[in-house]
Amino acid sequence: MASEATLSSGRRNWLPAWLAGDTVQGIRRQRMVLGILFLLPTLIGLILFVLGPIVVAVAMGFMKWNVFRPPEFVALKNFARLFRHDLVGNSFGNTFVMMAMTVGMLEVFAIALALSVHRFARSRLAYFFRTVWFLPVLLSGVSVAVTLSYMFHTDFGVVNYYLGALGIDKVPWLVSSDVVRFSVSLATVWRNLGFTFIIYLGGVSALPQEILEAATVDGARGLKRLWLITLPLLSPTILFATVIDVIRLLQFFDEPYVMTRGGPGDSSRTAVMMVYDTAFANLEFGYASSISVVLFLIILAVTGFQFLLSKRWVFYQ
Amino acid sequence: MSALSRREMLQASAATVAAAAAGALPGSVALAAAPSQDNITLRLQADPRDYQEVIDTYAGVAPNVTVEPVSVTGIDHAEVATKILASLAAGTPVDIGFAATEATQLYAGEGLAMGMKDRLLDQADDLMEYFSDVSPVLVETDFYEGDLYQLPRDFNAANMWLNTKLLGEAGLEMPGEDWTKDDFNEYAMALTGLGPDGDSFGFAWNNGLWGGWLPWIFVNDSNLLTEERVGGGEWLWDTFYADDPNAEGRGGGFRWPEPQANNPLIVEALEHVVALTRDGYAPSVERGFAENLSGFFAADKIGMYPGGGFFTGFLQDAGMEPGTYDAQFWPRWQSQRHQLGVGALWILIGGNEDAAWDFVKWHTGRDVMEMIGFFKVTRTTPARRSMCTAERFPNVNNWNIFYDTVDARPDTGPIPAPVFSIELTNIFTRYTEVAVSLEQSPQDTLDAMQAELEDLYARNA
Repeated sequence: MASEATLSSGRRNWLPAWLAGDTVQGIRRQRMVLGILFLLPTLIGLILFVLGPIVVAVAMGFMKWNVFRPPEFVALKNFARLFRHDLVGNSFGNTFVMMAMTVGMLEVFAIALALSVHRFARSRLAYFFRTVWFLPVLLSGVSVAVTLSYMFHTDFGVVNYYLGALGIDKVPWLVSSDVVRFSVSLATVWRNLGFTFIIYLGGVSALPQEILEAATVDGARGLKRLWLITLPLLSPTILFATVIDVIRLLQFFDEPYVMTRGGPGDSSRTAVMMVYDTAFANLEFGYASSISVVLFLIILAVTGFQFLLSKRWVFYQ
Repeated sequence: MSALSRREMLQASAATVAAAAAGALPGSVALAAAPSQDNITLRLQADPRDYQEVIDTYAGVAPNVTVEPVSVTGIDHAEVATKILASLAAGTPVDIGFAATEATQLYAGEGLAMGMKDRLLDQADDLMEYFSDVSPVLVETDFYEGDLYQLPRDFNAANMWLNTKLLGEAGLEMPGEDWTKDDFNEYAMALTGLGPDGDSFGFAWNNGLWGGWLPWIFVNDSNLLTEERVGGGEWLWDTFYADDPNAEGRGGGFRWPEPQANNPLIVEALEHVVALTRDGYAPSVERGFAENLSGFFAADKIGMYPGGGFFTGFLQDAGMEPGTYDAQFWPRWQSQRHQLGVGALWILIGGNEDAAWDFVKWHTGRDVMEMIGFFKVTRTTPARRSMCTAERFPNVNNWNIFYDTVDARPDTGPIPAPVFSIELTNIFTRYTEVAVSLEQSPQDTLDAMQAELEDLYARNA
């Protein structure tokens, strides 16, 4: 009792009265302050590196600024211009096409892989496959893109060399506007598959075995079991993975920038490439900010739409 | 006074010897005044692998100045300039930047680079030897609106490299200096389908402003943009080049007042290169593939390739055997005017201008330039005539053409690179891709390019 009294009076010495621990409110306030203190480093980081830049980007969207001269307020001119600018519309179109192709391939391949690897869950092969499929994620996106651009070269690339050995004509992987978006998507899928695969492997591992076993006993097998039982049970994971992948891939940059610089012409130019070129090559930072603000709003809307749709197909146990 | 350690003593001795040696060698440039005693750090845009010896030696020349190399890489000079602008925007500028012609007017026109006129005139005696060793063609390229913003360090004109092993297989000799575009076409045909696997291409090129298909525009007596000489510059020509006939008629730099992408001569030039790809004499032209073409040239997959003296080192690195390659002037068409780009250091306004100037001036000394890594294994052509020797270009019989492109052909001119050259380069390469992928006719492509260039000019008026 004596020591508690000392501690209590010690607190009173340096804590303000409203934080004194001798009342219920005081203890609550102490806990709240402690919680805020713990959150503070993250909050400061979030404000400085996320919210701050967003606010600055939005503000800059209303300016004309080339770094070397003071910014000039131009009201909505940048936004009006981007809606008339064919190149911007084209880059958003490309982004959606490549995002759709890439996300489609990623989800299908990752689910298939996760289900296959899960079969080996109790053997050492599971470690092997998990490692092998995750390895490309650890590689630098730029080095992967450089290497794959060499492999996809129409005349000197190893891919066409082997296709030629099979009697298949050269495919203009990176120089045909019909093919290039698929080639870039393929390269992106190769590097990112491991990440999505690990998400699905976690989801598959957490599926309730009793339901799957009951389904088997009831005669659900093969594709029927996959379609009617496994995928609905996996739907929360599918939602999570697709939301993450769609957000990432609407910001497509590394692979198309390194492999094609947006070409041939503008057929693989993405929205983020457009932002980068507009800001750093054309020195139109205000206009670039307006494009990035529109991209931000589109990502927000697409994500919201995904969650809205999820009410129809996601099954929570 | 504290005692010096053995290491400090050795370092001080080495710095003193290096400084004394740098001052005593012919071709060295003295500092204008005793450097300030304040400690200064200069951020220099340079690859430390190439510049470490220069930096270490300068530590002896100006002990209070620390030169910190900042390495910036890119697929072409336009991309390097983009990154420098990004670093400026981020508030981490360099005090001394590097610019190839692609960015010279950009830095000068945006008020970033320091004009050197007053300092050059004040210290003319110190720089007389340097200018006597540098072609006026190169110096004029570094002018902008009458002032000089850079002192040429290196350059490359687009000459034609030929794989002599494939020439031998085709039963051809090295072409002469006055070969023509028709000769070139015959060579391209003859050099296709040879090599160990019978799959060589007669000609290959990279899609860029420098050395892409621009050389064909130049020899077809045209330019992507209309070109005119700016008045002024007499202060330099009269001071340093009074007796040089190649300096006659030169002015204060170049201006490119308007685009002319769909000029019939340019359409004809594009039709020529598109036909090479369409007919199978040139491989598909893909971005981001520049470095590898030297490897394919060395592997006897490519017969001819546009390049300057820089290609010497690339081919050495690629392990090409001596006697299996050589270079020649670009073939004649309507003219034989060559295009070039010049590389040099520039000084940021508002940084440590005085200290930066001292370094840049000292850096023009031949002894200093000899220390630079990319002149040891030749990965670019020195701007100093005296450094362009047979030893610098080993195994290249026609090594003399590299400097003769500016000395014997003073009509050689810079690639068109106005203040907005990065955007110009992007437009040029984008539409080039469309044409060489055979998805649009050269005429339609260049009409569209012209429209976009006109828009670019209107926005930058």
